[in-house]
Amino acid sequence: MKRPITAALAVIGYVIMIVPIIFVVATAFTAGSTLRFPPEGISLRWFDEALGYEPFIEAAISSLGLAVLATALALLVGVPVTLAIHRGKLPGKGLVEGLFLSPLIVPELVVGLALYQQLMIGMDLDNFSTLLVGHTALMLPYAVRVTGASLALADPALEEAARGLGASPLRAFFTVTLPVLRPGIFSAGLLSMVTSVNNVPLSLLLQGRDFRTLPVTMLDYVQQSYDPMVAAASTLILAATVVIAVIAERTVGFAKIFGGINQ
Amino acid sequence: MVRLLEPVPQPVPSKRTPPRKDADISRKSAFLLVPGLVLLVAGFLIPSAAMLFAPPDVPASEIFARLGEMLTDPYDLEVIGRTVGLALAVTIICVVLGFPIAYWLARSPSRWSGVFLAVAIFPLMLSNVVRTFGWLVILGSKGALGQLLVQLGIVEVAPQLLYTKLAIILGLTQLFLPLAIISCYSAVAQVDPGLDDASRGLGGSRIRTMWSIVIPLTMPGIVVAATLVFAGSVTAYTTPYLLGGSSQRMLSTQLFNYASTTVDWASASATALIMTVLVFLISGLSSLIGRKGATS
Repeated sequence: MKRPITAALAVIGYVIMIVPIIFVVATAFTAGSTLRFPPEGISLRWFDEALGYEPFIEAAISSLGLAVLATALALLVGVPVTLAIHRGKLPGKGLVEGLFLSPLIVPELVVGLALYQQLMIGMDLDNFSTLLVGHTALMLPYAVRVTGASLALADPALEEAARGLGASPLRAFFTVTLPVLRPGIFSAGLLSMVTSVNNVPLSLLLQGRDFRTLPVTMLDYVQQSYDPMVAAASTLILAATVVIAVIAERTVGFAKIFGGINQ
Repeated sequence: MVRLLEPVPQPVPSKRTPPRKDADISRKSAFLLVPGLVLLVAGFLIPSAAMLFAPPDVPASEIFARLGEMLTDPYDLEVIGRTVGLALAVTIICVVLGFPIAYWLARSPSRWSGVFLAVAIFPLMLSNVVRTFGWLVILGSKGALGQLLVQLGIVEVAPQLLYTKLAIILGLTQLFLPLAIISCYSAVAQVDPGLDDASRGLGGSRIRTMWSIVIPLTMPGIVVAATLVFAGSVTAYTTPYLLGGSSQRMLSTQLFNYASTTVDWASASATALIMTVLVFLISGLSSLIGRKGATS
């Protein structure tokens, strides 16, 4: 190594990022019943337990359903906003875009508390509707910013040409604009889904008896019992995430997806 | 409406649409904003503002009274100080570790650097609960690190590692290092490698090249990285909850406690206000530095 300091710092960084994940996987396969390390024997019993544990399965279905709905809703209202910002002739476009990115700056826990107080307690909304409103609001910045990035790259002259050749605005949108937007919509959708499924701070105060999200259910479980079932559940989540990452990498490249939102 | 009455300014040759149609488009595009705006205002802006200034059954004056108490009470000040202190420590560690990794990933000709970049970014997609849980296995009372220290004969009894500041720092560093790497990476990738070579060719040492060429040119990216990590650390919940517990309360775990366990709205709102102000301060400071950098 020509740069010993760089190399040492890089090794420390990667150890901190990766080693805990390896430990989760290793613990999941233990035959013992504690989080002791090294694990006592190898077995799949904790995977069996995790897959048979009703609260986790129910919460996983709830989390996925919530993520799909919130993402679809955010794209449905967010894509028109992107079109207005990039193609429309609005005064104060920067201000409008800033407004739609604002959910990224306010701490999620604070938004969760706000929705809990104002919608669940104040307006007597049920916890699923409140979660849906919150998650959709949180996904809006992704829908607006990420789809906007692919729209900004496309030449507006294409749409003008379609209109000039006699296409109706709707036809021009579906045949010209939408195909241009597709990679952006895909990236935004993926990013939103992943963010929504993994979310803790926003969902934390919005849990109900009938509708609970998976990460919060797992947190509660960890706090009560100290056994490897959560490690097994975590390993399953890890496997699913790897599959999604590979799909993301093959289609748009996930460095692109995750690099875009914060710039 | 005002726009309709004004003569629309026309850079004549490039304009293809007549002015009447132009105004039409403006009205239509405003219409496209409506569903999004309704959701944003009703589902985010109004509740957030109402929570910070008018929670149910609590007069706003009480929140500010509680805020005043918090800023003088030793216990509350300790929580605020711990939050800011830990966030600062994590920010420094993430930049110090993240920048060299980003530099190496951006400049290494090896085809492995693509794999390492993917490995660094992948954790961003993975649940924070899953990532943080690993530290329980490592730092727990029967965890790997304690056992290792005992077996190596460094200590006799495994030390308390969980529910300490160290545990929170490790957990938050793991969480936010990928963000720091991405921000620094895109900054380094934009700097022409020829500049490094030129500096080296002119006799600059490796360290001198780093300090006077690479770091100044990538400063905006480093500032973005630091801002994201700091704001993230101040607001993170899962990590301080699992690794800090009740003995190392941070603003986030304290906020949850006020809102859920003690149902003390005034304290919850005051804590939320402190947290939000901290995040806004750091964001404001960062864009100020960014603007200064851009003009100089």
